[in-house]
Amino acid sequence: MKPAGGAFLGGAGSRLLPASIPFRFFGAAISFHLLAWLALLAGAERLPRFTGGLGWPLAALHLVTLGVLAMTAIGASLQLLPVATRQPVRSTRWPVAIWWLYTPGVGAVALGMGAGLPWLLGTGAAAVLSALLGYAALLAINLSGARGMPAVVAHGWLALLSLLVALGTALSLALAYLGVPLLDRNAALALHLLFAAYGFMGLLALGLSTILVPMFALAAAPDERRGLASAGLAGSALIAAALAALGVAPQPLRGLAIALGAVAVLLHLQLMGQALRSGMRRELGRSFTLVRVGWGGLLASLATAAASTAGAPLPDAAPTLFGLVVIGVWLLSFLLGILQRILPFLASMHVGRGSKRPPTPSSLSAEGPLAVHFWCHLAALAGLALACVADSGLLASLAAGVGAVGAAAFGSFFLTLLRRMRDSAAAPPGASRPMA
Amino acid sequence: MSGTPAAPLGRRWHEADGTHIDVRGLAPPGPLVAILQLVGEQATGSALIVHHDRDPQLLYPELAQLGWVAERIAGEPGEVRLRLARAP
Repeated sequence: MKPAGGAFLGGAGSRLLPASIPFRFFGAAISFHLLAWLALLAGAERLPRFTGGLGWPLAALHLVTLGVLAMTAIGASLQLLPVATRQPVRSTRWPVAIWWLYTPGVGAVALGMGAGLPWLLGTGAAAVLSALLGYAALLAINLSGARGMPAVVAHGWLALLSLLVALGTALSLALAYLGVPLLDRNAALALHLLFAAYGFMGLLALGLSTILVPMFALAAAPDERRGLASAGLAGSALIAAALAALGVAPQPLRGLAIALGAVAVLLHLQLMGQALRSGMRRELGRSFTLVRVGWGGLLASLATAAASTAGAPLPDAAPTLFGLVVIGVWLLSFLLGILQRILPFLASMHVGRGSKRPPTPSSLSAEGPLAVHFWCHLAALAGLALACVADSGLLASLAAGVGAVGAAAFGSFFLTLLRRMRDSAAAPPGASRPMA
Repeated sequence: MSGTPAAPLGRRWHEADGTHIDVRGLAPPGPLVAILQLVGEQATGSALIVHHDRDPQLLYPELAQLGWVAERIAGEPGEVRLRLARAP
């Protein structure tokens, strides 16, 4: 008999990428997370009334969206989708090439935005665009051959189409800084925010949640029909919002988009709640508190959009607060919650390949740094919201400093995990593994 | 682990070499849940034989966390058959 988990796997084993591929994306995301808070610290004075334009707040925003959110989404989808859709990993060179193009590209975009250097921004944007088109091709190949999990696949296709719209509008906005816009700036900006945040990142997060949340809670797969209905409603909401952004019946279509989006989200949250209630594992710790904070942020973003569409009186800082709720509270909290849960799990899976007794995920994790990160993350988000309402650059600086401490703690968790993976892999066969 | 899903997933039966469970055809993470459900019910620590249609990559960290190990044994063509037992 052979130990399970790797050498004997044949076709099934080839669904698992080498550890170095997903972990390089996760490592880059965790590094950009720290850089994002530092960029925000550098631009804190402008943050409370920030609505766009070159500078460090814009750099911080893109370090989060491109550097943390999209980077993690690429790593997670490259790792998880072949397993979920029963597809072999066709190439390991392409993901590596994408990483080498994308990572310096994000750095150049952020530096170009922060320092106000359009040529650097344009160069970085070209690299990011090429890398994301390469990723979109890999995603399309995977999804077109998918077997099973139709709700995940539907979310994947919608996310992929959204990525293409987000890239097209990003190109238009980047060219506008060079003096050659393709689309009206306001329409391009609205479409870019919509399809990057709610479309690409949002739908990928919702789709991957239907695999990950039941997996962590140890619950049965969510109802496929409801999952498909949620994806369909979310897709319809995006189309209605896009038409509104292009000037087609803006008020009614915006209202329709918010209503459709809200029903899609409530349906999704009902499925997730069912998985969490029925699962064998009920105690999911701090990681799922962050996930729940993220879900709260998603609902709050829709409520804010509804209030704005209905003409309710909103504070001057409402646009900045809306961005904070969408990017910081929803997407970043959700993603960091999932990431701290999945990293030890993937680490154990990879270190244990071919081993009879893999190390336990908890023995590879580091709870102390994660606790520091948890409190700093929540305090930083609350501080930023307060800074926007009070129009205080000083408060924004303090919040960004606290966020940077939290990001450094998350980095320490990741480095500890890598060290423990290395030690575990180097242990002689048959050596006893920690069973924390 | 503290909760229990409503109904056991997968087909179960007993043979001389232990309790068998067939999780082929279940949508992810159904196979993982079905196997861990059965592992959680094993008070005596007797061996479990899993009939799967693919290598359950996500199972091994969960088994390690519970103090169990998995070994590949011979199965039908196209089947991944595993023997699960408590770690020595």
